[in-house]
Parts: sequence; C-alpha cells; structure tokens
Amino acid sequence: MVRRLPEYLTIWVPLLLSAAHLVSFSLWTIWISFTPSTLVPVSGWVGLRNYTSVLASRNWQIAFDNLLLFGSAFVLLSLVTGLILAILLDQRIRGENVLRSIFLYPLAVSFVVTGTVWSWLLNPGIGIQKLVHDFGWTSFRFDWLIDRDMAIWTIVIAAIWQSSGFAMALFLAGLRSVDADLIKAAQIDGAGPVRMYRRVILPTLWPITITVIVIQLQFAISTFDLVRALTNGGPGIATQLPALVVYDLMFQRNLLGRGAAAAVLMLLILLSVLLPYAAWQYLQQRRAPHA
Amino acid sequence: MPMITRRRLLAGSAAALALPAFARAQSAIKPRLTAISQWSAGSDGAAITALGKKFEERGGVWQHSPVPGFTTEMMNKLRAQIMAGDPPACSQLKGPEIAAWSKIAPTVSLDELVAAAGYEKVVAPDLAKLHKPGGKWIALPLQIYSTNMLFLSKRAMDKAKADKIPVTWADFNDLAEKMKAGGVAYPIANGGTRPDDGQKFEASLAGISPAAYRAAIMNLDKKALEGPEVKAAFVQVRKIADWMDPNVGAQHFSTNLKRFVDGDMGMMIMGGWAQGVLRNAGFKFEDFMIAPGPSDNGKPVFLLNADAFIFWQRKEPDLQAGQALMAQLVMDPAIQTMYSQITGSIPVRTDVDLSGEGWSDGQRRTAAALKDAIASNQAVLSVAHNMAQENGLTAALIDVITEYVKNKTIKPEQAVTRLAEAVESAR
Repeated sequence: MVRRLPEYLTIWVPLLLSAAHLVSFSLWTIWISFTPSTLVPVSGWVGLRNYTSVLASRNWQIAFDNLLLFGSAFVLLSLVTGLILAILLDQRIRGENVLRSIFLYPLAVSFVVTGTVWSWLLNPGIGIQKLVHDFGWTSFRFDWLIDRDMAIWTIVIAAIWQSSGFAMALFLAGLRSVDADLIKAAQIDGAGPVRMYRRVILPTLWPITITVIVIQLQFAISTFDLVRALTNGGPGIATQLPALVVYDLMFQRNLLGRGAAAAVLMLLILLSVLLPYAAWQYLQQRRAPHA
Repeated sequence: MPMITRRRLLAGSAAALALPAFARAQSAIKPRLTAISQWSAGSDGAAITALGKKFEERGGVWQHSPVPGFTTEMMNKLRAQIMAGDPPACSQLKGPEIAAWSKIAPTVSLDELVAAAGYEKVVAPDLAKLHKPGGKWIALPLQIYSTNMLFLSKRAMDKAKADKIPVTWADFNDLAEKMKAGGVAYPIANGGTRPDDGQKFEASLAGISPAAYRAAIMNLDKKALEGPEVKAAFVQVRKIADWMDPNVGAQHFSTNLKRFVDGDMGMMIMGGWAQGVLRNAGFKFEDFMIAPGPSDNGKPVFLLNADAFIFWQRKEPDLQAGQALMAQLVMDPAIQTMYSQITGSIPVRTDVDLSGEGWSDGQRRTAAALKDAIASNQAVLSVAHNMAQENGLTAALIDVITEYVKNKTIKPEQAVTRLAEAVESAR
C-alpha cells in the first residue's frame, strides 16, 4: 500500500480535483439557472422562468434548428470525407506520410484562424467568387456567406475542412488493424476490391465509426469560436448556435440566469448524445465475455 | 474576499461623504488611482495615456490596467473585481449600465466636486441624468460622439454632379439615386456589424421624428413603438439596405473606407469616430465632407454616445484622494480639449470653444449640432451604442433590426410588431 502510494496520488488527486471542478461548477450553473441573476449571481428562486424565456426566444429557436442541421450535416459529411480519404491512403501509395500530415494538419490550426481565413475565401466580394469572376466566368455565384438560408453551410464547409483529417486518422488506424487472415480468406473466395471493402473491411470499422460520431457530435454541440470568427451569428441572426446564445446572454446582455439556463439546455443536448453512447459501451462490455 | 463589517462599511461611507474635504485636509497623501478601461491602442490608448500623464503631473500615481477587446471583456474584469471585493477606484462604464452596476457595489458621490466645478449647467440634460442615477453624481462623462454623422465621399458627389449636403431624408434619398445613376456602385458605405445596422435604424427614426424616438426607444412607450414613425423608419432602413454592398458580411465599416473615398461608395452614416479612422488611414480632409445626419424638420438631431468613468468606493485614503483628483481632471475644459483632440470626439462641456487650432471642421460642426439639438430638444441617446437602454434590452432590439437589414423578405410592418414583441419579452 505505502509502496504504491505515489501511483495512487498521481491518479486519484488530479482525477478527484477535475471531477470536483466539473461537478461543482455544473451544479453551480444549474442553481444559477433557477435564480433571477442578472449582472452578478444572486440567490432567489424563479422556477422555470429562465428556461421558458430562453426556449421562447427567436435566438434560441434559430440556434437549435441550426444545431440540428449543422450537427447532422457536419458529422455525416466529415465521416464520409474522412473514410474516403482513409481508404485512398490505404492503397499503399507513395508519399503516404506526407499526405497524411497534410490532411491532418488543419486540426492543428485554431478555429479562430480557420473561421477568419474561410470568411475571406467565402466572401463573394474578395474570395472564391471574385476569383472565378476575374477568370472570366462572370455569372458564377457562390455567395453562401451572405445568404441567410445558406450561411450555415459555410460553417459546415469550414468545420469539415478542419476535422475530416481527424476522422481519416482514426479510420486509417482501423483499416490497418483489420485481421490479415480475414482479408486472405476473402481473397481466396474471389472477392474484388469493392466487395472486399463493402463486405469484409468496413463492417469491422463500426466501433470506430461510433467513436468518430460521438466525438464530432460533442464538438458540433459546443462549436463557438469557428462560427464567431466566420459569420458571428450572421447574416442578421441566421447562423446562431447554442454556445453563441449562452455567451451572448451571459456576457453581452448581462443576464446570467438566462445564460445559465441556456447552458443547462446545452448540457442536456450533450447528454442526449453521451448517455446512449455510454449505454452502448456498457452493453458491449457485458456482451464481450459471452462472445 | 475581505470581510465587510458594519464598522468598515460605516467608515467607508463616512469617508466617501467627507471625500473632498478629506482630500484637502490630507494633502500630504499622494493621490493614487487604480483604473480599468478597454482603451489600450490607437487614438483611444494615446488619449488615456495623455490623461494619465496629466494625473502624474499633479503629483498622482496612475495605475491604469487596460482590458483590450470588446467593452464586455472590460465588464467581465470589472464584475470579477467587484465580486472579489476589490473594485478599481474608477472604471470605464457608460449609459444606463451606470445605474445598473451601481446597484451591485457602493459608488462614490461626486455631488460636491461637481457643484464646486459648476459642471452640471454645461452638460446636456439627458446625458447628466445617466450619470446621476438616484439623483447623485456617481460617474462623469468624458467625451461625446454623435452616432448619426453623415459622411459624403467627394468623388461620389462629383459622379452625381451634386454639391449640396442633404438635409432631410428625402434629400438623402434623392442624392443616393443620383449617385447610383452617376455610376457609384453602392451609394451607401457600411459594415455589417450589429451596431452598424442599429445605427441605420436609430438615425432613420430620430431623423424622422426625435419625439417618436424618445418615446419609443428611450421610454419604450408601447403606442409609440407601434406608431407610424417607427414603420416609416423601417421603410427608410430598407432603402438604405438596398443601396449597401451586400457582400460586406459581418465586416467592420473601416474595411470599406478606401472604396468610399474612391467614390465607389457614396455616403456613410457613422459615428464621429470615423473621422479619426479616415485620418489615421491616411485620407485627407478634401476627400470627404461631414454633416449632421438627415433630419426631416431641418434642425440637427444629435444621437448621443458618451464615454464615462464611474467611481467605486474604496477605503484607502490615497485612492480617495486619487478619485477626487481624477474627477477634477475629467471635468476640466483643458483636459477635455486635450482628450477630444486626440480621439476626434467633442468635449462633454458645451462651453468649450472649438474655433482654435487642433479642432477639425467636422468636430466644430458636431459641437454646433449638439448645441442646436439641445436647444431644440433634439439631442437623444443612441440605442445602437448602449446609451438608451441596458445591454439586455438593447441586444433584443438590435436582434430585430439586424435581421430586418439582412432579410429583405421581412416587411416593415412585421418588423414593427417584432420590435414591440422584443421589448415585451426582454422586460
């Protein structure tokens, strides 16, 4: 016991500290969300009033719709892009290391930088549209950034650019760890490359797929800096996202109570993703010994 | 957090009441001031540094900690310091936020100092009211900007073959049409930020009827909010929006200044600070003209935006002496002159003579407009720059306006309804 004390200390102290941090501040936020706090936290009880007013606000409704659209489009498309990149890289091509670094590199760039650069590229007056016009194709239109119906897709584009490399890396690791015997057996049975991927290799990837989905989803739900730098919620309030609404309520409108309520709503959305995942993992573990 | 005992609190308030006398009696104490503001760079940073120099010349110790970025970041620092029981002796804060924040921590009454300086009669009445919530002066305005100045590009005027500065909105609309016909690509130069959109609306409504602006936006009178003037303002905003470059996205107005000077864009409705930005960017006074924003009754309408300092109660004698010295400096016409000449604003005092060197025509015209506007009761508080309402309500109003500017399928009458609803739900 004494001999192993350093090991216990290195594991348990940081773990308990961060758990205490997380839990105490979450509980504190939940408490604030039921108080009439505005500029500073105050005690008092207003029941669900903060929640009803957040849920009834246009900003939140737009943010929530955007989250559904952005979340599903971003997760799906980054999954597909990542998988395609991984399969292409898996063909034992030359310069794989270089290509892999290139595709993974955007992940090392801060979201604020990504957002700012894409806000220039996508601006019709100075970016891609202008470039194509200057080449002579003057009827070309690519003005999603200032089109309030399409603006949310510019965030999807930038987010995919940033993080499909991450999906690619995970998928590539998965592809490389497929049992060689399985592949040989399939080859002996005469499977071509397409059939091989569809029937043999991809089905073994689905635990990785679930992991990628969950990680990307929690990223999508908490997206803040990207959209702030790219559109700042605009045009108008067309690209609001829940994290922007929370920040706006707490620090710009000085409505701590409502901001906390919006933050708790975000936590609930996050839990709706994480709890099924945890349950799924739990079931997997229980099933494993019988397999 | 230091314990606040009743005795300490009593001692603190007694000291605050006796502040000016105390400062005189204890002249051996070296005045010290801890201050926070968002002014760190550019002309704002230069101006507050110059103020600090003056403070030091009078024997004080100047401890300014700038919090660069948005005003809200400065506010977060202020909030943290107040909650820790250690507020700065003085901080930047403006408009109705002064009243709101004064409820969460004790402030210093400046009544004696203000009376001694005879300050009250040289400050615009609506502005004075903001700095004395509950009847007591606790904050002092530092400089004034008008948010509805009209900037005209000389080259665009040449293209339109026009030389008359528009007075009413009808004149303005005529000129915009002429510019369009004369080959100016976008008659309105602008950015795409929230305050930018807000300014288009406040300039429209106050220019159509200052009385309706006062009732609807400053007093949130329901009848005025749903009145014909508000609808007319939205109609005017749509016209302005149609003349803007849609590609600005969420850009800052300064991005387009070159196109404005080149005559590719014609007119800009912007705060007086744009003069400083234009000059800093290397453009000349011959490149543009400045006039008060359009006003349908012909008399100038002035949308007030004023920066201010609020003074937080401290029990340290040197900080109290520093607060007294700072208050005297801020009210001093010579200091206000120095400050405004650096930033391009105009002095808070209406009795400062701007005919001398160091002032621009734009500043002189702005100061004259303020005087006229006060005389005809047409000096009102800007909503786009958080002077008319607290931040929460302002943001709710700007939500409606910015969506209307960017979404041309919203009809003016729908916008009127939404504006009234936003007020209702934010209250």
